[in-house]
Amino acid sequence: MTKKSQAIILGMVCLILTIGICVQIKTVNNNGTTTSANQELNNLKSQVLKMREKYEDSYARLEKIQTELETTRSNITNNNEQLKILEEELRKYNVLLGTTEAKGPGVVITITDTDPKDPIRLIIDNKDAVVHNTDILEVVNELKNAGAEAIDVNGQRIVDTTAISCDGNVIAINGEKVSSTFVINAIGLPERLSTLKRPGGYLEILEDDAHIKCTLDKKDKVEVSKYINANKFKYAKTIE
Amino acid sequence: MKKGKITITITIGLACFVLVLILFMQFKVVYQTDITSIDTMKEDELRTELANWKQKYNETEEKYKNTEDTLKKYKEESSSDKDTRKTLEKEIEDAKLVLGLTNVEGPGLIITYKNSDNIEQTINQEESTDKYIGATDLLRLVNHLKDAGAEAISINNQRIINKTDFAQINDTTYIKINSKRVSAPFEIKVIGDADYLKGALIGTGFVSDQKKYGQTIEFEEKKKLTINKYDGNMDLKYIEE
Repeated sequence: MTKKSQAIILGMVCLILTIGICVQIKTVNNNGTTTSANQELNNLKSQVLKMREKYEDSYARLEKIQTELETTRSNITNNNEQLKILEEELRKYNVLLGTTEAKGPGVVITITDTDPKDPIRLIIDNKDAVVHNTDILEVVNELKNAGAEAIDVNGQRIVDTTAISCDGNVIAINGEKVSSTFVINAIGLPERLSTLKRPGGYLEILEDDAHIKCTLDKKDKVEVSKYINANKFKYAKTIE
Repeated sequence: MKKGKITITITIGLACFVLVLILFMQFKVVYQTDITSIDTMKEDELRTELANWKQKYNETEEKYKNTEDTLKKYKEESSSDKDTRKTLEKEIEDAKLVLGLTNVEGPGLIITYKNSDNIEQTINQEESTDKYIGATDLLRLVNHLKDAGAEAISINNQRIINKTDFAQINDTTYIKINSKRVSAPFEIKVIGDADYLKGALIGTGFVSDQKKYGQTIEFEEKKKLTINKYDGNMDLKYIEE
């Protein structure tokens, strides 16, 4: 090898290394705002917490005034039979709307993502090992089919306007985030509701396909949460 | 002469070593800044989170004001039984509207949801991806619409209420909604913000996913459309007072 070619090779190596360093430095410079971003992030985090607190305060006040409304309504209609009939009708509608807590016989279902240590994780897709919004949607649909009168999922009551949607890595119900383990309370005839755990039912498909753990217990008394802050309708109007 | 060559080699070797070292140090710094890019992702999430709570707060406040107004009407000392009856009836009307127990009208969309035109022929061919519209498709469609704030929905004139379920009766054509048989083509009427409703079906990929199966979804915006009430049984047997 001649001296000349040696020098050229060395020169090229140095050039490549220098270019490499320059590229790296440029990349680092572009991301140089780490500290100010952190500050903004913390700021944002505290804003989120504050807003959440504000909402919770507001929710508590709403809860209180609704109880007051119910007692007032009940008292005022006590000595008038016709009004009492109307008051009872309204009370039934409120139960149907899900604005009151509900108690009764039924079932409690739990659905848990596949155990990370379960060997089946090696042969199934990661996305099949987690419970999706569509899974909860199917289970709730089967419960309705089995005549459930009130349903909640992780404390979120399923009402007329409830959507069960996908929100990144979690599921949003009534706009609030919920995640595994899912606990579903349903009121209805326990014998009928327990048919959800039948061969070929959706729960069994979840268990067979991905070892997603599903349990179902019949109960004499199940408590279902209420949902009081449903949107007021803006578009639909009653006509005769 | 030979000694000089060794010195040169060592010098160059050292220079290369230092350069490589610097390069690795840089890699490490860059690797760390990758974490901040996850942080910026989190920032987006935080912003949506903030907007979510704010929206919920506003809704709760609005509901609070409405409840307060109703309470005031009941409490007014001068109010007669007639006034009380009026307030009660108003509350009942509002409840029935949400429950789907009244005929309603409002702006919205009419969605026409159809199977592939030549599904009978293509369904038996092996390479065909055509698929009949099933109960799950309708269930998901309705869920997307509710997510976009739909206030009233009907499918082939079956009003969708809270207890409505979608059941597949056989593999192909029949679906039961409210225990009544329906089959494609489906005419879905929705009251709500037409842009939101459409956006929910297109933006989530629902429309394009269903297209892959040969199904078609068409939208028609309406300034005013009417949806019939649910006229089935609303009795409760198991919820205790």
